[in-house]
Amino acid sequence: MNFSKKVIFIFLIFFNGVINSESTLIQNVTIYDGKNNDAFIGNVLIEDNKISRVSTSNLRGDLVIDATGKILTPGIIPTDTDIGIVEIGALSVTRDDSSDLYQIGFSIYDAFNPNSVLIPWNRSNGITSTLTLPQNTDSPIGGLGSFFVLDSNIKISGSKDIVMIGRVGGSGGKSRAETFSIIEDLLEFASSLGSRDMETYKEIAELIDDSPIAETMELHPRDLQALYKLVNDDLPLIIDANRASDLLKLIEIKRKYDLNLIIMGAQEAGLVANQIAENDIPLIINPINNIPESFDELAANIELAAKLEKLGITIMFNAPRSHNFHLVRQGAGVAVANGMSYAGAIKALTLSPVEVFNLGDRGQIAQGKIADLIIWDADPLEPSSMPEKVFINGKDVDLTSRMTRLTDRYTKNKEKPNGYRN
Amino acid sequence: MAKLIKYYFLIFACFIQAEPFQSTYEPLPSENILIRNANIYDGEGNEFIETDLLIQNRKIVAIGKDLPSTNDFKVIEASDKWVTPGIIDIHSHMGVYPAPGVSTSSDGNEATSPVTADVWAEHSIWVQDPQYALALKGGVTAFHILPGSANLIGGRGVTVKNLQRNTINSMKFPDAPHSLKMACGENPKRVYGNRQQAPSTRMGNAAGYRKSWIQAEAYLNRLNEYESKSDDAKEMGYAPQRDLEMETLAGVLRGEILVHNHCYRAEEMATMINIANEFNYKITAFHHGVEAYKIADLLAENNICGALWADWWGFKHEAYDMVQANIAIVDQALGGKGCAIVHSDDAIGIQHLNQEASKALSAGLRAGFDITKARAMNWITSNPAKAAGIYEQTGSLVVGKNADVVIWSKNPFSVYALVEKVFIDGATAYDKESDFQPASDFDVGIISPNKNRIKE
Repeated sequence: MNFSKKVIFIFLIFFNGVINSESTLIQNVTIYDGKNNDAFIGNVLIEDNKISRVSTSNLRGDLVIDATGKILTPGIIPTDTDIGIVEIGALSVTRDDSSDLYQIGFSIYDAFNPNSVLIPWNRSNGITSTLTLPQNTDSPIGGLGSFFVLDSNIKISGSKDIVMIGRVGGSGGKSRAETFSIIEDLLEFASSLGSRDMETYKEIAELIDDSPIAETMELHPRDLQALYKLVNDDLPLIIDANRASDLLKLIEIKRKYDLNLIIMGAQEAGLVANQIAENDIPLIINPINNIPESFDELAANIELAAKLEKLGITIMFNAPRSHNFHLVRQGAGVAVANGMSYAGAIKALTLSPVEVFNLGDRGQIAQGKIADLIIWDADPLEPSSMPEKVFINGKDVDLTSRMTRLTDRYTKNKEKPNGYRN
Repeated sequence: MAKLIKYYFLIFACFIQAEPFQSTYEPLPSENILIRNANIYDGEGNEFIETDLLIQNRKIVAIGKDLPSTNDFKVIEASDKWVTPGIIDIHSHMGVYPAPGVSTSSDGNEATSPVTADVWAEHSIWVQDPQYALALKGGVTAFHILPGSANLIGGRGVTVKNLQRNTINSMKFPDAPHSLKMACGENPKRVYGNRQQAPSTRMGNAAGYRKSWIQAEAYLNRLNEYESKSDDAKEMGYAPQRDLEMETLAGVLRGEILVHNHCYRAEEMATMINIANEFNYKITAFHHGVEAYKIADLLAENNICGALWADWWGFKHEAYDMVQANIAIVDQALGGKGCAIVHSDDAIGIQHLNQEASKALSAGLRAGFDITKARAMNWITSNPAKAAGIYEQTGSLVVGKNADVVIWSKNPFSVYALVEKVFIDGATAYDKESDFQPASDFDVGIISPNKNRIKE
């Protein structure tokens, strides 16, 4: 290394260090703040990991990004993926989303792979953090999902076991009435427990043995701990259900046990929308899915999102899980094309998951919030658009993914054999 | 070439007496229509701004500025709207995997033997599938229904008009050639390998195709020998006994039946091209082809289309190397000689093929290609029409072709564009404004007795 290179090298180290502690100003950008407000043109200042100012008047920053004509949104937060726990769907050796042993307390947190190719891919599509959920277990309620920030840091940053999942509906072979009975038995049992009885595994095991549940299910102490959290700690419960009558029954159960209930799927929500609105139940729907895929989903309708929004129901969107979750923006665009408000669709992708699942200071462009931000090359609800810049925790993250690398491999330096290309 | 195919077809048809399961399609009542001041993508790579389109007696009769019309024409003012050919999906399982997806009508895979060239998808179709009407609202006027991919050779596909009718024959696209579904890779070797039978490996797959083609060659030789005899000699002997499997495979070797080959990995597509050359048949299109971009020039050299997704991936190992520019790279192979098709393989995707094309186009632009929207429109219109063998009748807005036409509220490369009207053979099949739309019998009174399924 000669002298001048040394100087540059030292300068780069120094300069990088300076950038990290200095501010970034995104200037003259069209802002959808995630909070269902109309867009406005303004300036956003990022300091450390936070948004320190949002203003329509001029701001100063050390690094200035002119984003005239571009749209800025909070990072997209999926509520239903297996990002980080499934690498290839049909390859069981790459799947960490199910358990044979645990029914209710199954946690996927420790299986999360920060080096999954899914993470750079999703990030390059504007997805900055995710709620990752296991597969449904054999129990109608059970399995715990965790929240992860997609910063590719090998040390996982997220929140463990912040949501429980469940499912009711047509299953072939057993009545949904049986499913509802099991759910109520489990909740009844959990409601009868006091925290003093559950200090050791031995105590918990005895509680299980003495309970009527032991007759119908094999439970582990971890299962009962999770169930206790559900009824006593307001743990959010996402139940996958579609048929209108099932949705009403779930509302009844929610009221009886005072559950923090979210319904996912909800294809027939349009038939019982008033009851859902009155009971303030947030929904996770796939707005592009209008296929009557089962007899539970006969009322599937492309105008569902618009209808629910009019009643003030909190909506979040899902999409095919993990690899193809980027399609959620297309779904949101279809929802808008079919009557939903634009700002409402942005909120469904960003702030609503944060509010429903208590994900902290994310999902919104406002002073003091964590700077997970996307500058889009065009309208983010057009599936043809892509992020131009993505900030996670205030850092401008690299948008290279395995897909961009493979694209380069087959469109550049084609004179070399492909094994010798970059 | 088309004449040659028809000539062969006649011989073949004579031999098997009459072609069974003929189309009995009858279009809806004909209308004479002038669409005025529309922006048009013609499906041939052209864009016309503020241009008129004239439909008469089921055909497109003129495209141009200020076209005259008489009083018996219905005039549709289409300023700021866009007009395209009817969208065509080259890969659908509607009808054979209908909704609801229940076991009793899951009829797309005859997964009882790795070679089932004797089965025809059209004999599985449920004509009351509620998904057709949803696809119609996405501008789809014709689609190609294939058997699934469990088998090496899965059986015959069929092209239908998107007009729900009470019999399959009355939905069949008149004069459309039959197709043959073949499948590479993980699916056949998994289905049969799990049963401890061949194929359980990719080399087992290759051996399976080749064994079948050897049989088909022998059958075709017997057939040709018999057909080359004089009429007197024919009367003296017996015709070779009919064989449903061999009739299909011989149809491929004679160029009458088009091969549609499910195949993901680049090297497997190259192997399939070798096998096609060995037995002298043509592959019309590779379907799914997540790795088509790795051999785009090879596909173009062999005049094989890539029927691909814009960005669907990751559900299995052979779908792991997805790039968003796949369709654009295939399109631009050999300086733009490639044949790219956006397919759905999905009852949601078929409703939004315009959006899929839009994603594929923008990925191509980002990868540095110079591709127009007008050209990208070919990916969902004329190119699938060519691959289905119906390009002479439909797939582009050209004078003399069937008036299969879609009017969009906005530029169809936008997610906000909604289909306003669909014409099939010069007749209104869907009209958003007047709420004119079909419903299958399944939709009738099923949630509430006085309503159709998705009516409020």
